[in-house]
Amino acid sequence: MTSSMAFFSSTTPTNLPSFSPSSKTHFPINPLLSLKPQRQVFGSVRATENGSGAAVVVEEKKDSTEEGNGAPVKADVAELGAKFEDPKWVSGTWDLKQFQKDGATDWDAVIDAEVKRRKWLEDNPESSNNDFPVVFDTSIIPWWAWMKRFHLPEAELLNGRAAMVGFFMAYFVDSLTGVGLVDQMGNFFCKTLLFVAVAGVLLIRKNEDIDNLKKLIDETTFYDKQWQATWQDEKKE
Amino acid sequence: MASITLKSFIGLRQSSLENHHSTITLPSKPLQYLRHNIIASKSSPKITGRNLRVAVIGGGPAGGAAAETLAKGGIETILIERKMDNAKPCGGAIPLCMVGEFDLPLDIIDRRVTKMKMISPSNVAVDIGRTLKPHEYIGMVRREVLDAYLRDRARDAGATIVNGLFVKMDKPIDKYAPYVVHYNAYDGKAGSTGTKMTMEVDAIIGADGANSRVAKSIDAGDYEYAIAFQERIKIPDDKMVYYENLAEMYVGDDVSPDFYGWVFPKCDHVAVGTGTVTHKPDIKKFQLATRLRARDKIQGGKIIRVEAHPIPEHPRPRRLSNRVALVGDAAGYVTKCSGEGIYFAAKSGRMCAEAIVAGSENGTRMVDESDLRNYLQKWDKTYWPTYKVLDILQKVFYRSNPAREAFVEMCADEYVQKMTFDSYLYKTVVPGNPLDDLKLAVNTIGSLVRANALRNEMAKI
Repeated sequence: MTSSMAFFSSTTPTNLPSFSPSSKTHFPINPLLSLKPQRQVFGSVRATENGSGAAVVVEEKKDSTEEGNGAPVKADVAELGAKFEDPKWVSGTWDLKQFQKDGATDWDAVIDAEVKRRKWLEDNPESSNNDFPVVFDTSIIPWWAWMKRFHLPEAELLNGRAAMVGFFMAYFVDSLTGVGLVDQMGNFFCKTLLFVAVAGVLLIRKNEDIDNLKKLIDETTFYDKQWQATWQDEKKE
Repeated sequence: MASITLKSFIGLRQSSLENHHSTITLPSKPLQYLRHNIIASKSSPKITGRNLRVAVIGGGPAGGAAAETLAKGGIETILIERKMDNAKPCGGAIPLCMVGEFDLPLDIIDRRVTKMKMISPSNVAVDIGRTLKPHEYIGMVRREVLDAYLRDRARDAGATIVNGLFVKMDKPIDKYAPYVVHYNAYDGKAGSTGTKMTMEVDAIIGADGANSRVAKSIDAGDYEYAIAFQERIKIPDDKMVYYENLAEMYVGDDVSPDFYGWVFPKCDHVAVGTGTVTHKPDIKKFQLATRLRARDKIQGGKIIRVEAHPIPEHPRPRRLSNRVALVGDAAGYVTKCSGEGIYFAAKSGRMCAEAIVAGSENGTRMVDESDLRNYLQKWDKTYWPTYKVLDILQKVFYRSNPAREAFVEMCADEYVQKMTFDSYLYKTVVPGNPLDDLKLAVNTIGSLVRANALRNEMAKI
């Protein structure tokens, strides 16, 4: 147990970038534990201690062999066929019973687990097997879990931006024209500016978004132009 | 995410911006012109002493269908094909409606695919085909069998089949003068360069495929094309049972950045392949990845043939010039998303031939460009929705791995399966129930949002 604690304390975030490539190739379980941010590391250690002590033991053994070998072992990963394995991944889907926290399912942990699985598979594509079909569907995670995790932080950010822009624009217009906030809302021009400001905050989050939007608009009509090219000749004739 | 660099597409004319805006209001414009042109063709001269002569260059599905329809319409038809026993590299899938529309005998079809499996980048596998009725299937054919059958039927209808290679054509010197077609006649002798021959015809249908010479002769312009690479693998019998009537589609960045990898069952082996438009030099890498993803199911298989072919991505800028029209792959009638071309080749060949038969009043009058434009107009009107929908599907769902994950998730839905198969098998875009469509739209957006959210998390690792 103490050696496993030492193992984890050695994999502080400063080591993570160098540690991850070799760890991924050998120990499917490792990425899940070593790649978590440090504050969660001790939490996960506790989890494995409570759960399967066997998992920790296995890691220690593999730990020593991993340190011995360096780059050469990476070469025969393809033959080894390092598959994605995780105790919580049962019969081609995440076993929700293993994600219980305080009696309810910890959806954040499910999302984290799926993220790691996809990242693993992107870097190490696997053969699809009929005997072990993957049937996981992201829609089993309820909509409010997605909202809480992804939408709310971004909504907070955007609303904050909108509020800041709004406050200073209202002050600026008031100082220039003397028209107060309530009277500004009644003016058509101000309403238009407000609409533009809200749309701008929603659509343009980074500088690249402006180009992306232009490209998207071009894309939607590109195929049409290709089909209609043959009719352009007729117009000229 | 695949970055899409768009070359400015202005066809062949260096047109100004005004023309661009005018083309967007397309549906009304050609009709205006057509009204003038219909009058013009009625005044084209009657041919005395002989029937209209039409050369069909290329003897694939498009050429065979065109030649048969022309011959049945009483037109003197000559079909030129360079390789009579050509086993064209091809997926070989034909929709159910083709069997009915072209009266194909059922023994041409090697296999009836009634189930498909879509496999996402993270190996989520979804079976589709539950909604198929017992008589519905996707037919898998061998191109050499299908092409030969259509050519033979054209010959039986009265067309002359010539084994030769089209070299070039001489444009007519005045309005109703004939085209002179130069070709090398092989006459069944393999390996020879053939004897140079010429023939005079009044109209030409270019059905000579993706690398069409006819298209080059009329300056039809180029198209973007995908490279489809395929290995035919003979797998052990017990593994073949799984592919009895099932085809697989693998999606993922490893398999193809803008297309999909496939395992299609053929007569006694499977075809494993993939394709790409934007990353052609990496095609071998994609093929290895496809074989890896299917590895457990094709283990122990032997590669019996390796083949590749270009597949057009969109129609050529000019599909018709004076009395020469392009059909099939030569015109670029391959759908996006699925890469389907056989049915559209045959149908366009038939449609073009029908337009010539009608415009020439069964071979008694000369045809001119307006008659051939009728074919283009009918084609665009009938199939534009199908092409556009598939284009949208490709743009939305083949963009990136999250989009592909969402795609596979959506395919699990019964409504999606029903709509997909209905539109694939019968080639009509069915509107469907608006309430279900709304639910589908909401679910699609949900899937896309979830998959993209997961991918953003992946980027943080």
